[in-house]
Amino acid sequence: MGKTKGSKRSLVLQRRETVVSYLFLLPALFFFVGFVITPMVMGILTSFTDASLANGNQGTFIGLGNYARLFKDPVFWKSAWNTVVIVVVAVPTVTAFSLWVGSAIYKMRSGARSFFRCVFYLPVVTGSVAVVVVWKWMFDKYDGLFNYIINAFGGKGLAWTGDAKLALWCIILILFTTSIGQPIVLYVAALGNVDQSLVEAAQVDGATKLQVFWKIKWPQIMPTTLYVAVITTINSFQCFALIQLLTSGGPNYSTSTIMYYLYEIAFRTTKEFGYADAMGVILAIVIALFSALQFKVMNGGTTE
Amino acid sequence: MADKKKRVTPYAVVCIVLLIALAIFFIFPLYWIVTGSVKEKSDIIIKAGEAIKWFPTTISWDNFARLFKTQTDFIVKMPLAIRWLFNSVFISVISMLLTCITASLAGYALAKKRFWGRNFIFSLFVCAMALPKQVILVPLLSEMNVLGMTQTTWGSLFAVIFPIVGWPFGVFMMKQFSESIPNEILEAARIDGAGELRTFFNVAFPLIKPGFGALAIFTFVNSWNEYPLQLVMLTSSEAKTIALGIAGLQSEMSNDFGLIMAGAALAAVPIIIVFLCFQKYFTQGITMGAVKG
Amino acid sequence: MKKKRILALLLAASMSLSLAACGGGDKPSDTPAGGTETPGGSTAAQTEITWWAFPTFGVDSGYEQEVANAFMAANPDVKVNIETIDFTAGPDKLTAAISAGTAPDVLFDAPGRIIEYGNAGYLVSLDDMMEALKGDLANENLVETCVGADGTAYMYPISSSPFYMGLNKEALEKADALQYVNLEGDRAWTTENFVKMCEALSAAGATTVPGIVYCGGQGGDQGTRALVNNLFSSSIVGEDGKWNIDANGVKALEQLKAMYDSGALDAGFDMAAADELQKFQQETAAMTFCWGTSNAKSYASEDFTQISVPFPSDDGKPELEYLVNGFCVFNNKDDAKIDAAKRLVAFICDDAEWGPKSVKQSGAFPVRTSFGNLYEGDKEMSLLASWIGYYGPYYNTRAGFATMRTEWWNMLQRVFQEGDVQAQVDIFNTNANA
Repeated sequence: MGKTKGSKRSLVLQRRETVVSYLFLLPALFFFVGFVITPMVMGILTSFTDASLANGNQGTFIGLGNYARLFKDPVFWKSAWNTVVIVVVAVPTVTAFSLWVGSAIYKMRSGARSFFRCVFYLPVVTGSVAVVVVWKWMFDKYDGLFNYIINAFGGKGLAWTGDAKLALWCIILILFTTSIGQPIVLYVAALGNVDQSLVEAAQVDGATKLQVFWKIKWPQIMPTTLYVAVITTINSFQCFALIQLLTSGGPNYSTSTIMYYLYEIAFRTTKEFGYADAMGVILAIVIALFSALQFKVMNGGTTE
Repeated sequence: MADKKKRVTPYAVVCIVLLIALAIFFIFPLYWIVTGSVKEKSDIIIKAGEAIKWFPTTISWDNFARLFKTQTDFIVKMPLAIRWLFNSVFISVISMLLTCITASLAGYALAKKRFWGRNFIFSLFVCAMALPKQVILVPLLSEMNVLGMTQTTWGSLFAVIFPIVGWPFGVFMMKQFSESIPNEILEAARIDGAGELRTFFNVAFPLIKPGFGALAIFTFVNSWNEYPLQLVMLTSSEAKTIALGIAGLQSEMSNDFGLIMAGAALAAVPIIIVFLCFQKYFTQGITMGAVKG
Repeated sequence: MKKKRILALLLAASMSLSLAACGGGDKPSDTPAGGTETPGGSTAAQTEITWWAFPTFGVDSGYEQEVANAFMAANPDVKVNIETIDFTAGPDKLTAAISAGTAPDVLFDAPGRIIEYGNAGYLVSLDDMMEALKGDLANENLVETCVGADGTAYMYPISSSPFYMGLNKEALEKADALQYVNLEGDRAWTTENFVKMCEALSAAGATTVPGIVYCGGQGGDQGTRALVNNLFSSSIVGEDGKWNIDANGVKALEQLKAMYDSGALDAGFDMAAADELQKFQQETAAMTFCWGTSNAKSYASEDFTQISVPFPSDDGKPELEYLVNGFCVFNNKDDAKIDAAKRLVAFICDDAEWGPKSVKQSGAFPVRTSFGNLYEGDKEMSLLASWIGYYGPYYNTRAGFATMRTEWWNMLQRVFQEGDVQAQVDIFNTNANA
């Protein structure tokens, strides 16, 4: 932990570096501690109480009561399963696909590159309410775009978001379109940053394109990949607005995620903040574990 | 580079075809929103059995007229929707500026400095991102209330900005970007006698500029779309953002799609402009090779 | 290692403390600077109150400001700030505001939420206002909609209107199904005729589907519930006051399931009431189960004739669900504000000039008999007014209503998708009371 590698540096220097580092960190920490950590601690504390709208948000301490209740709640488990499906499908696809698009467009002429980067970023830009309105129409069972196309080819239309087996995949598809914009931008930037002299040297040595990619570029874009993976993981775990606007967790909880269920408990049904916060804490722990795993696996290859 | 491009491999052809097909798929929702905003009601809500109207049959500005109907006094007399747009821009720009400053400083320190508590602080940043925002919403509102920031228009705008700036994703991103700064050149600067701040601004900063540009856009867009915070903090109609304002134009049972599309089109324009403006920063990463070699 | 960690924790804690402290010191100085929002107009003794309004007076109609201006002219000691909220996100905003202590002073809403807030102790009692109103109420059941679990009045009602069905006349004619609909008198009709009508529509293919039982989303659940409850005269509340679908309710659900299987009805698993209404407007479906005075306005169509009918029932006597609009006053621990808020509510509802105006603006019928018939000469509205006699027992204010609604959607989805109605109903009866 925080041990310096250069043992030759004196204690004074080390202390000076610590002070300087904290000065660099100070502005970020001000906002972070003041407006994220403080309410977060309050939220975590609430998860150990039975606070709800009905008791005036003045809960009494019930220890791990909310957590014990979670483990017996079948809807929570169903939501947890859906959440895992979303993450396990979305994270690898988003990461791999954005890396593919990134590497396909980064060496294009700047006009074409800008065009594609912008295009793939559009779904992020357009805001979820309006985008969901359009998607809702596309998925419409009676006169939606997808069934229109299927019917045009003589097929039989599907129920899409109305079908418990398909609904989650519809959510994943939209999540995918709204998730790849940022990674593509990052990959284009990161690939542009790859040390060109190393690439050229390897090419002179007769390395194939694939070899150049894996041996030279991949290690150098590793920090970006790690960032993309972690951020996509968090976003997929916390996927919520889409579900709220498109399916409200249905049909029959087939698209309910932990995040959606948490919201439903806190704001729609019983308004038990303590119980909802407990769900949030569990979700955070799971995400943190996932992220730690990603750090472990991916940081293995890179030096600090 | 140049001669590579001239060789057209089958793979490259497949790539281009796939990319173009996907591009159409990705553009479509926005196309639908923009055309929907100038369509007449009968073109948006198509009767059963009628063909889909791919293009507006007539251009109608009625949706925009309704969007701009309500007026407000802000500097000059203007439609309330423009005030909402201003609020959105205000929140996004201030959040962007503050985040860029705080995150690049902090990210640089976390990546390139060895200090006591570093791993702890970084872990705290990452873990905080893992906790869903819904959990902090109610405590945050009480906190802002205690600080007296919810009572006034400007105060409530800042009540949205501060948590966005505090949200650690920017720090995390800049840390990852700063990892790629070669230690040698920082060491060289130090040996040359540059102070910490000068090293950061003159040596480190130019190297992380592409990341900086990306961060600027991401923060801008994220704060633009940061719906739950806006919903809870912003109450008066003068303080609303365009996203909140548009949502407020729906009633319980009816969705006025034309109005939603007009609002969404209006809201998308500034972000696309910002995106295009910041584009050039992403592409300035070529300096990197020169530095290392 | 451990020591380091503890130290780091302490550091973080102390930092957060010092930040909180300086944050607390800094911010109030911001307030006056931002507080210049309302220049002039505010005299020293003025009481400022905030009114949060759902768009019950119409979206963006400006009526709220109009009536508030009239109130302020009559009561110069009060300043009213109006904030409009929408039905999609507004309830969440209210939940957050109430629990964080930033609730408004006055809220214009419906009993479901108001009584929930009242039972939780956030509202002031309106018993005095209610007492004065009692002699003038159009329907005695209305009192029931305004009181909490302990009998305290938390809502002051202004207007009410029934929920009913809408039919597409031309589509029915095309399918030769209009014969099953009663267009005489109060238009009450039987379950048998409803089934026949749906089957005729399905056979003729007059519209893509005859009707859609929507099973998703928020709001609008009263429509499907009224349909189920009326088909075989069942109730959603048991004799013990708990949520309970009885044997007749099961029969109704089985009937609907059979119609779904035969294509005489469709089910919209991902559809909310608004989606179903849109399909009705687009003539994808020939009927809607969520018709009402305001929806009839929002989903009007020039392409076909929309007929209003009550829900069909086996005995031909419908029991309608209905909407009640009303106000509540939050207890923000300031007597001046509470007094001003109550005066505002009384002005909007009872003022000789503005009272009737407000009722009409809400598109519903007055709860006061003394207001008389506000829709003189309007045939449709007179018909609807006659249905007030069919108002059923009101249960939206019962404990666990919000939970029941969610369970209701899930139950419908399971009934249509998985069958075995009794089993699904059993799950509902258990979960809704949890």
